[in-house]
Amino acid sequence: MRILLRNPRRELEIPGPMSVVKLLARLELNPESVLVIQGDTLVTRDARLADSDVIEIRPVISGGAA
Amino acid sequence: MKCRRCKAPAVIDIRRHNAAFCRGCFLHHCREQVRRAIDEYEMFGPEARVLVAVSGGKDSLALWDLLRSLGYEADGLYLGLGIGEYSDESGRYVRDFAESRGLKLYEVDLRADHGYDIPTAAQATRRAPCGACGLSKRHLFNSTAIDHGYDVVATGHNLDDEAAVLLGNVLRWETGYLGRQFPVLPAAPGFARKVKPLVRLGEREMAAYCVLNGIDYQVEECPMAAGNKHIGFKEVLNGLEERSPGAKAAFLFGFFGRGHDRFATEEDEVELADCPSCGAPTTTGGLCAFCSLRARAGGIATGEHTAAVELRAGR
Repeated sequence: MRILLRNPRRELEIPGPMSVVKLLARLELNPESVLVIQGDTLVTRDARLADSDVIEIRPVISGGAA
Repeated sequence: MKCRRCKAPAVIDIRRHNAAFCRGCFLHHCREQVRRAIDEYEMFGPEARVLVAVSGGKDSLALWDLLRSLGYEADGLYLGLGIGEYSDESGRYVRDFAESRGLKLYEVDLRADHGYDIPTAAQATRRAPCGACGLSKRHLFNSTAIDHGYDVVATGHNLDDEAAVLLGNVLRWETGYLGRQFPVLPAAPGFARKVKPLVRLGEREMAAYCVLNGIDYQVEECPMAAGNKHIGFKEVLNGLEERSPGAKAAFLFGFFGRGHDRFATEEDEVELADCPSCGAPTTTGGLCAFCSLRARAGGIATGEHTAAVELRAGR
């Protein structure tokens, strides 16, 4: 799988198949803090990702309390 | 996972609701949560003129879209903060959003209209940049709403923002801030009514709303906010939420329902005078906090009168 990460922008290759929840655990990411995007839609934490998939993991936490 | 409403394949799960939704039902869920927040906290009526404070991020653009989809008259206000490439990019997202939908957008540029920007203000005052930014936003959102006759200013603060602010206020027992933390701040002489219609939606839901609705927003974090306390509080709360789904909502809505009133009574009546520079109400007897910041950052000399905020209205 090709994984695009943001803030900072970078790419990783991780062998699949693998569930979303296992991928996030491997990357030490809290599922509550990110979206997993495939094309123009989202995938839930139980979804199974194939080795050929291209996935974006997008952080959702923004700062500033004003 | 299947959608809770229609049993189609789900695209997002929301553990605090013990639910998952397909695209269509999720967008319906977001509209319903905003409608419920507006009704429950009596934010504004169907005929209200709403000024939405838009930054180019997911929350404010989603809020503008949601209010329009619910039928409200909602115009946008964008504040150019002068934070280099970050601000250039955020302005582009806002203008593209407004233009593509034919919406009215006001713009205020701190450097062009007020003679300073956030990096210089932070440097001159030796304050954290987020403090100077928040002060500038509060003043200019308020004055623009009043100058242009809007009934209410709506901001994109979501459930996570409010829960993080609450945690910060509780950790320091900021009783005055706790008394003012609520989804609605009523209008007062010189102050527009302020509302937070996204308070029932988490920031993961707001990002999902934008992705599923094709709304392009600025994903990159403000370079001046990196590592601030507010983000740290959110990370702590998300750690709790992962172990105990619903913890953030229980914390926040428990406070609104059973805690807020106990602190609201602590607020003392204060006498307000007009700022000699901009005319805004202030407790200081001299320049208001905004004009004081502007003076220290090189925008105006202390006591100098300035013209009203100049706005460049879009379509």
